[in-house]
Amino acid sequence: MAWIRLIRLEFARVIRSGGVAAALLLLLGLGVYASWQGSLRIQAAEAATAAAETAYRDQLAYLSATYPPATEAGEPLYYLAFPAPQPPSPLSALASGRTAVETASLRIRLLALEGQLYEHETLNPRLAAAGHLDLAFVLIALLPLFVIAVTYDIVSSERERGTWRMARLFARPRRLIAAKVAARVVLAAGLVTSLALIGAFSTGTDADGRAGWAVALIALHTLFWFALCLGVAGGRRSSTTNAMILVGVWVALTFLAPAVLSLTNALLHPVPEALELTVRQRQGYHEAWDLPKAATMEGFFEDYPQWSDQTVPEDEFTWAWYYAMNHRGDQTARDASRAYRDVLTQRDEWARRWSLLVPPLATQIALDRLSSADLRTQLAYQEAVRGYHERLKAHFQPLLFSAAPFTQVDWDRVPTFEPAVPAGEAPQAGLPAAAALILVSIGVLLPRIRSRPSPDS
Amino acid sequence: MGLRNTLLVARRQIGTMREDRYVVFLLALVVSLGVVSLLGARHHAASEAEQRARYRALVERQWAEQPDRHPHRVIHYGFLVFREEAPLAFFDPGVGAYAGTSLFLEGHRQNAASFGDARHSTGMLRFGRLTPATVLGLLLPLFVVAAGFASVSGERERGTLRLLLAQGATPGQIMGGKVLGIGALALAAALPIGLVTATFAAVGGEGQTSATRLLALAAGYAAYLAGWVLLTVWVSSRRASSRAALVQLVAIWVALCVAAPRLGASLAATLHPIPSRAQFTAQVEEAQRGVGDSHNPDDPFFSALRDEYLARYKVDSVEELPINWGGVVSREGEEVTSRINEEQQQELLAAHRRQDGVMAWFGLLSPYLAARDLSMAAAGTGAEAVESFRAQAEAHRYEIIQRLNDLHVHEIRYENDRAQRIARQEWTRFPVFQPSPPSLRRALTDRPQSLTALGLWIVVPLAGLGLGRRRLPRVGVDGSGS
Repeated sequence: MAWIRLIRLEFARVIRSGGVAAALLLLLGLGVYASWQGSLRIQAAEAATAAAETAYRDQLAYLSATYPPATEAGEPLYYLAFPAPQPPSPLSALASGRTAVETASLRIRLLALEGQLYEHETLNPRLAAAGHLDLAFVLIALLPLFVIAVTYDIVSSERERGTWRMARLFARPRRLIAAKVAARVVLAAGLVTSLALIGAFSTGTDADGRAGWAVALIALHTLFWFALCLGVAGGRRSSTTNAMILVGVWVALTFLAPAVLSLTNALLHPVPEALELTVRQRQGYHEAWDLPKAATMEGFFEDYPQWSDQTVPEDEFTWAWYYAMNHRGDQTARDASRAYRDVLTQRDEWARRWSLLVPPLATQIALDRLSSADLRTQLAYQEAVRGYHERLKAHFQPLLFSAAPFTQVDWDRVPTFEPAVPAGEAPQAGLPAAAALILVSIGVLLPRIRSRPSPDS
Repeated sequence: MGLRNTLLVARRQIGTMREDRYVVFLLALVVSLGVVSLLGARHHAASEAEQRARYRALVERQWAEQPDRHPHRVIHYGFLVFREEAPLAFFDPGVGAYAGTSLFLEGHRQNAASFGDARHSTGMLRFGRLTPATVLGLLLPLFVVAAGFASVSGERERGTLRLLLAQGATPGQIMGGKVLGIGALALAAALPIGLVTATFAAVGGEGQTSATRLLALAAGYAAYLAGWVLLTVWVSSRRASSRAALVQLVAIWVALCVAAPRLGASLAATLHPIPSRAQFTAQVEEAQRGVGDSHNPDDPFFSALRDEYLARYKVDSVEELPINWGGVVSREGEEVTSRINEEQQQELLAAHRRQDGVMAWFGLLSPYLAARDLSMAAAGTGAEAVESFRAQAEAHRYEIIQRLNDLHVHEIRYENDRAQRIARQEWTRFPVFQPSPPSLRRALTDRPQSLTALGLWIVVPLAGLGLGRRRLPRVGVDGSGS
């Protein structure tokens, strides 16, 4: 009972000490703002999806109205762009990861695909360079500063004021420190819980396994900072030294380590394939204009043997040949494209592995995974678009080979895009980071646990 | 006498900091981070540049080695151009990572650039990048805070402030000395980074342009860091305890360097939303639908054009025209679609500029934003460099495509059009894409808010120091500033 009273007393003291209430309100305000922003982003993504769908219908109506009914299907298909929107995961409103720099809604034409996958979004590079504010950033980067601010002088302030001796009369030092920390943990837990609730409420995120893991990771990450602060501030250094050390560690963990790892990753895994595949695809397609048509078809039949009994006239333009030539572009770029994806996958795996050493990074990368906003999701999306392109080709090839008119296309049966499914289960994404956070937390507390409580000075 | 006192205080401050092992450790850390980031960034920039040069040469060779081709074929063959980074991009990569690097130029449509560094990065990039510019703009201020938060408050706590005052040093001299001392330390940290940058820039060539740009960078960062030194001494002089001064300074750093840029970007994006790429291309297509399709011979726009040409040449059918009607259709179509696309593009850019405007005003609140903005401008890596590349690439595209269309109009007969070819020698006569970067003067004059912000960043703490001068002996005595 005395224990609870001690915590209550401490809690009241912290809340009333200068600036703490203001800092709490500030964090709360930023968190609410970030959640609201997240819901706006989801709305914008949904509007973009709807717009792509509308654009497709408009274009189809326009092409049907403009081309005479006898026109071969291949001609209007040259223009028609099929929408391939990846719906945003609800959790990405709160942990938006790389969504700001990525494309989630491509429009795909039946032409060579590799040239259509990598265009940049319309984003303003200046805003992107300034950084991005989401609830995850508030909780991973800013909340630790609040933790530092309320714990760095947990013992030293009493020593410096000379009240430590008196306080020790009421409770054993270790118990006193534990009560002080517990009061602050309760405060932080209240903040995290309210922000998680506000976030979930304002963005309509389901309370599913992924959301649960996300909250658990944020909680563990916050506890790590408490452990670290206790490890540093439980010692006998002065308040200013504690503050300097803790702010230094914060800068090292939330800025330096990620930046150094990111730079190392880029240097270890260069991506020359990006330009290679662009050059190859264009060359592979255009060379075919100057080759005998049979040679182009030969390459096409390698990938689509079911059409190998077809021939195209050498001296005449046919759409079947035209699209086979486009396929040749993708075929020529295939190795470079695979190498490109391999390098990006390596970067992703390397980042996942090394991030486990740096708590904020481990949390961030795991959250990106949970909210399907990481590099791997983008690769999976591109893969889904590839699959869609293949299904479209399979659907239209019979019409192209039979030189069927546009009117023969049954538009209701044209395949629609199937979005990429988030890979892996939630525990797979969250468990390594959770384990790493617990281990590192114990690690930073070890020196404190092993040393005897100071007999005071 | 006055100057002597100031210098004495400065020397005293330097002595204190040199004895502080934390400060010495942090100094070594900041300098080595600066140098490491320079090495890493330079290596990265060099390998990227080498790659782009290689592919650029390859693409140019492929263009020149084209066989005899029909000009309209070449219009679709198009041209690939690569965005070169500015020579000083290794110091401040600016917005480069967030813009595409390769751009495919072809007839009938204006593509967007593909492949930027940011899209090849993992979620780690969210926390920022280690570049010499961030070391100077983000870490060095924190180092200044760590070295100087106790500069005045520490003297007060130890009781030596009264001593100094009693020995005849005025508050102005004390604070001036503190500013000089901490400033010298900041210079000691920044100078090695600056020298290595200058050496790399000199080795990299470019000479004259880089020299002016380096000077602008040096001036910008000097002003920015001077502001931090002044602010640190000001806060330290107003606080009774060093602890309170440190907490306040760190809070200011977090607000200005970590929170404000992100808040500004997010507000700008909310106030001035832009369409997504998919929405944008759909908009362009819709706008172009109004004028018709140059591939469709029965299109109303092109029927009117045909009547006009028939009347001008006084013939009855396009077959009788002395020029190739197919080429004319393609040329006129290109003109119209290019104009419409450029209008839409300008609309999008105008939205970007409105967002930039919000950011620029936010710079008045966050000197870090203003300093970064000016740094990018001076390094030639700002958004205007990306836009200038885009605009020049589009001009180049238009020139090449219309030249090919002119070949189609004049060198290819209308009859049996598609079977004819232009001899391969022609391809070597086409101009090579040689974009020129926007000038430093323009980049700087386009940023009045950032320049003002940096000026205010010095004036405000300076005024604070000046006005608070008389209060110096009383802080902490009458209960103020605790």
